[in-house]
Amino acid sequence: MFEATELNLQNQRRERLFRTLFLAMTLLLILPVVVILAMLVYKGGPMISMDFLLTEPTNGMTAGGILPAFVGTIWLVVVALIASVPIGIAAALYLSEYAPDNWLTRAINLAVINLAGVPSIVHALFGVGAFVIFFRFGTSILAASLTLAVMALPVVIVSTREALQAVPQAFREACWSMGATRWQTIRKVVLPNSLSGILTGVILEVSRTAGETAPIMFTGAAFFLPFLPETVWDQTMALSLHLFVISTQVPEVPEALPYGVALVLISLVLSMNAVSIAFRVYLRGKKKW
Amino acid sequence: MRKTLMLIALVAILPVACGRPADQGQAGDSSSRKVIQNKGSDTLVNVAQAWAEAYKEVNPEVAVAVSGGGSGTGISAMINGTVDLANASRKMKDKELEQARANGHDPLEHVVGFDALAVFVHPDNPMDAISLAQLAEIYGEGGTAAKWSDLGVQVPGCDSDEIVVVSRQNNSGTYVYFQEAVLGKQRDFRLGTRDMHGSKDVVDLVEHTPCAIGYSGLAYAGEHVKMPCISSPDGADCVAPSVATAVDGTYPIARPLFMYTSGEPQGIVKDYLDWVLSDVGQCIIVEKGYAPAKPVSCGGDAAAEAPAEDAEGEMTEGETTESSEADSADPQG
Repeated sequence: MFEATELNLQNQRRERLFRTLFLAMTLLLILPVVVILAMLVYKGGPMISMDFLLTEPTNGMTAGGILPAFVGTIWLVVVALIASVPIGIAAALYLSEYAPDNWLTRAINLAVINLAGVPSIVHALFGVGAFVIFFRFGTSILAASLTLAVMALPVVIVSTREALQAVPQAFREACWSMGATRWQTIRKVVLPNSLSGILTGVILEVSRTAGETAPIMFTGAAFFLPFLPETVWDQTMALSLHLFVISTQVPEVPEALPYGVALVLISLVLSMNAVSIAFRVYLRGKKKW
Repeated sequence: MRKTLMLIALVAILPVACGRPADQGQAGDSSSRKVIQNKGSDTLVNVAQAWAEAYKEVNPEVAVAVSGGGSGTGISAMINGTVDLANASRKMKDKELEQARANGHDPLEHVVGFDALAVFVHPDNPMDAISLAQLAEIYGEGGTAAKWSDLGVQVPGCDSDEIVVVSRQNNSGTYVYFQEAVLGKQRDFRLGTRDMHGSKDVVDLVEHTPCAIGYSGLAYAGEHVKMPCISSPDGADCVAPSVATAVDGTYPIARPLFMYTSGEPQGIVKDYLDWVLSDVGQCIIVEKGYAPAKPVSCGGDAAAEAPAEDAEGEMTEGETTESSEADSADPQG
């Protein structure tokens, strides 16, 4: 029979200790998320109604709804996606499928990583200089969305490249040996098999762009607009900036209002994510390896 | 594959194909809607917002886009020619006027109202009156008042006795005006002030800090802070900050609020500015807790046209009757 020595017991105790410790840390990690969501739902929940979403702010933005900000955030995210996803995927395809391993490729990779590390306020100033002033887009949805797109590009590129590289090399080799060109291989084999991973990058981008405040503050978002944006040349209100404004600038805002706005913002992001995640799960189910 | 290429091409040319509608800076747009760009002072931003909100009813075809950021932000936008109306709670400096003229703009100032700069302390603070000289010692570089006991005040809840000096960020018009009116142009703020990024932040901090003193436009100071009256150096009576005392010029730290246009206002910008200065527009600024640029009475029809703001309506009515008798000359003298 196996007799547990003192050393065995000690190891067992340590094993349990560390297991519990790591579990506690993980739970600690979830705690802020749970607390934030609970607070938002508890304090902001009563604000939410169809009226809140579908009417304009009134009475010096202390009453009424958030329609212009809600619509504005959707405009900003969608235009940013249209601008950044094709470029990001194209760049990732080049880097992953075509680029030889030389100094240029390494320089590009370095640039992408550095771009990801640039603080959002610096992107904002770049956006003002480049899109608002140099390209003469003015303060507009286009300028703000392009700024957001530049900021989100590295996320798309890195996650897409990782998704592409997760496709087994053997798939490509099999395809090539049938006489297919690189592009045919990408189109028929690599892209379909990496779509779920690419979507992950897009999800991350949506979350990030919808919540950003600094890059849109100077480039296209306004304190107050009495109209809904109609074209990309219009300025817009946005949920994130609206939240900032009513919590720091407007006197006598009812306490529930900022919580309500925050709840809408977070629900918008989560529901956009949920759609992509559902699609991703569906695609993963069809994976062939 | 051809489809894919076409898609990529489409996306690439989309922004170009849309084309920027000509001359948007001066309020043009592809649709029938015309936009007035209005940017600047955080002191004025809430009034500007209220005006924009109300003007939608007056002229639905004109939309006023309001942004804040501080007087400095509005003025530099005027210099760059990206706004139609720049809000400022201070005058443009000569250097700024030169820069604007160099860019082909000729900023013209319009006084749209007055603001009493309220100094406030924690509600538990027993101090009821403060002089401009005392304020200068608290805020000024090399000032002698660093502790509440230096002013002969014992503040309950403030055990350290140290004055927590709350100020604004330096591109704020409120900051610049306070410096001119209280410290004098040559004297700097002392080091170690807490510089807040908005009037509301100043009020919030002072409200929760027994040791603190702060300043902001009167409209921001709620009932949760205490506003001592201010006595000027000539030994006149101590004057409490209010719309009425700002209008009649007895309150020593009241300032005009400006909107700048590039040259003589024209077209929709002129219409809007005229409306802002009309009785209806001026009653809105009164409702927001500022003093009007000219005497107005806001009873009856005018109040009905302005957006409903019941809570403050009664108070302002009483005060404007008083103010209509008074001369609306620049309170700075």
